[in-house]
Amino acid sequence: MDVLDLARLQFAVTGSLHFLFVVLTLGLAPLVAIMHTRYARTGTTLDERMTRFWGQIYVTNYALGIVTGIVMEFQFGLSWSGLTHYAGDVFGAPLAMETLIAFFLESTFLGLWIFGWHRLPKWLHVATIWLVTLTAYASAFWIMVANSFLQHPAGAVRDGDVLRLDDFGALLTNPSLSMALPHVLSAGLTVGGFVVMGASAYHLFRKTPDQELFSRSLRMGIWTSFIGTMMVVGFGFAQFGPVTSVQPGKFADRPLAAFGLGFMIMLGHLLQLVALLLVVVVKWAPRWRFLHPLILLVTPLPFAAAILGWIAREEGRQPWMIWERLKVADALTPGLTEAQITLSFAGFVGVLTLLAVADYLLISRIIRRGPDQIALGEKPAPAPALTF
Amino acid sequence: MEILWFGALALLVVGYFALEGFDLGVGLLLPVTADRDRAIGAIGPFVLANEVWLIAAAGVLFGAFPACEFALSANYTAVVLLLVSWVVRDAGLWFRRRLVTRAFWEWLIALGSLGVCLAWGLLLAGLAGFSFPFGLLYGLLIAALFVMHGRRFLDWRLTGGGTLLVTGGLAAVPALVPLVGMAGGVIGNAAPSATLTVLTFMVLPFVPVMAGAQIWVWRAFGKGPVPAYF
Repeated sequence: MDVLDLARLQFAVTGSLHFLFVVLTLGLAPLVAIMHTRYARTGTTLDERMTRFWGQIYVTNYALGIVTGIVMEFQFGLSWSGLTHYAGDVFGAPLAMETLIAFFLESTFLGLWIFGWHRLPKWLHVATIWLVTLTAYASAFWIMVANSFLQHPAGAVRDGDVLRLDDFGALLTNPSLSMALPHVLSAGLTVGGFVVMGASAYHLFRKTPDQELFSRSLRMGIWTSFIGTMMVVGFGFAQFGPVTSVQPGKFADRPLAAFGLGFMIMLGHLLQLVALLLVVVVKWAPRWRFLHPLILLVTPLPFAAAILGWIAREEGRQPWMIWERLKVADALTPGLTEAQITLSFAGFVGVLTLLAVADYLLISRIIRRGPDQIALGEKPAPAPALTF
Repeated sequence: MEILWFGALALLVVGYFALEGFDLGVGLLLPVTADRDRAIGAIGPFVLANEVWLIAAAGVLFGAFPACEFALSANYTAVVLLLVSWVVRDAGLWFRRRLVTRAFWEWLIALGSLGVCLAWGLLLAGLAGFSFPFGLLYGLLIAALFVMHGRRFLDWRLTGGGTLLVTGGLAAVPALVPLVGMAGGVIGNAAPSATLTVLTFMVLPFVPVMAGAQIWVWRAFGKGPVPAYF
């Protein structure tokens, strides 16, 4: 593989890892916020345990979202400075907005939520998780604005050999964005719904003590995945119009994109069918034990569909970095050496893959152990004085 | 407008050094800290709110000064070291109580913190055209200042009293000096005014929210029992 291939593969791997965690963050955040609101209203132990259990999973998942995201952001500067040189005046703006008015706030509010148990006033504490949800969605919005610009450079004009921002409104109403953003957000709900269903099904099948908690979680997961799959499929098909108009031949001319698209659609329909059947029997699903292993079996599929979706969107853009403006090969940092890209590839891909595996092991352990051993929101023990 | 955005960039980088400095300092101190639970518990609620200053700084660099982004690829090794060390440090905090053994992750937190300091030395020295050994020395200086700041933070948080302003200010000096030196070059390479206007218009309304959220963190976690999540 040459420098270009390695740089592309590095971005593809870190990007895919990042999205595996981000997509669950987007889906779980509103669910945890709803649970926490319910707990604040009722004050019951059941609601508290439910919030802390799913909150712990949310936070553990978020950890990898941050570290993979950091590496993603800086890769633009490291490997793709040609993109910045050509279109930085336009493309940089949504990225800057994402870091300043979305991620900066999201991370700060999440810290307040994680450490605010037994510390913040009840309703202010609830407000922080809603703010985390809101800023997570804002983050998705700005990233999709930036990505849509690569698909269709709206709002920019050519000025000599670079692009300049011409119409910020056009950047935000990009036809590549309007249906893709709700598609991504509902993919998050789908993933969140299926994960909640899967973990609940595990506990219900094993007949662990928390039957009521997981019955309720299962129903919440079923409703969420029903709403999620209906919207994700709808907004998915709604994209064909705008995509065909601004990126003709995107899927037809690029086999890997067509492959991603085809399998994603297949999985999407399958998941939609599963969610539809489950929503019909939502009342009895917690008690029908034969369903639970089947639910567990399909839990990984929405993750696969999400990655296939990105393969379709980004492979379909090839060989362009910015559609019909800048080639990927020309966006590579000039003078990037094989030694450099090999070093960063080993560092980023190696470390992040190991951490991703560790994080999934940890999440599955949290699920297996159930709501009895949750660090999040534990009452603090009185501590002795510090000695060096 | 260019000056305003350079001010924002400088504030974010200097703020990162002054704030994340004590997190990294406490990380560096871990091998010689007896009660690591309490030390990590003390920085715990601040880490997320502190490290985002650098992510925001990178955002401002991409948005307002895209022509300066070559500074990253020109110092490739230093930036890779910075990111990998940062990731390892963060992973250490998240996983310490949960996977393998605590000691394993504590060493990684210390190593990661050291890596971040050395990477900053290399990066800032590289930007100013200094040699690799000078960069390492500069990194060690940064580490020493962060250790001092971290120690002061633990005293302030766990036993109370005194101020963080002096050591915080000192921790920020290694970033402030090169920023002042580079100010002219960076300002001259700002994005065109159309881009800066949009950025200003969009971001300005959120500045009070960002400041408020940060202040809230300090008010909520500056005193009281030390939480035990990390």
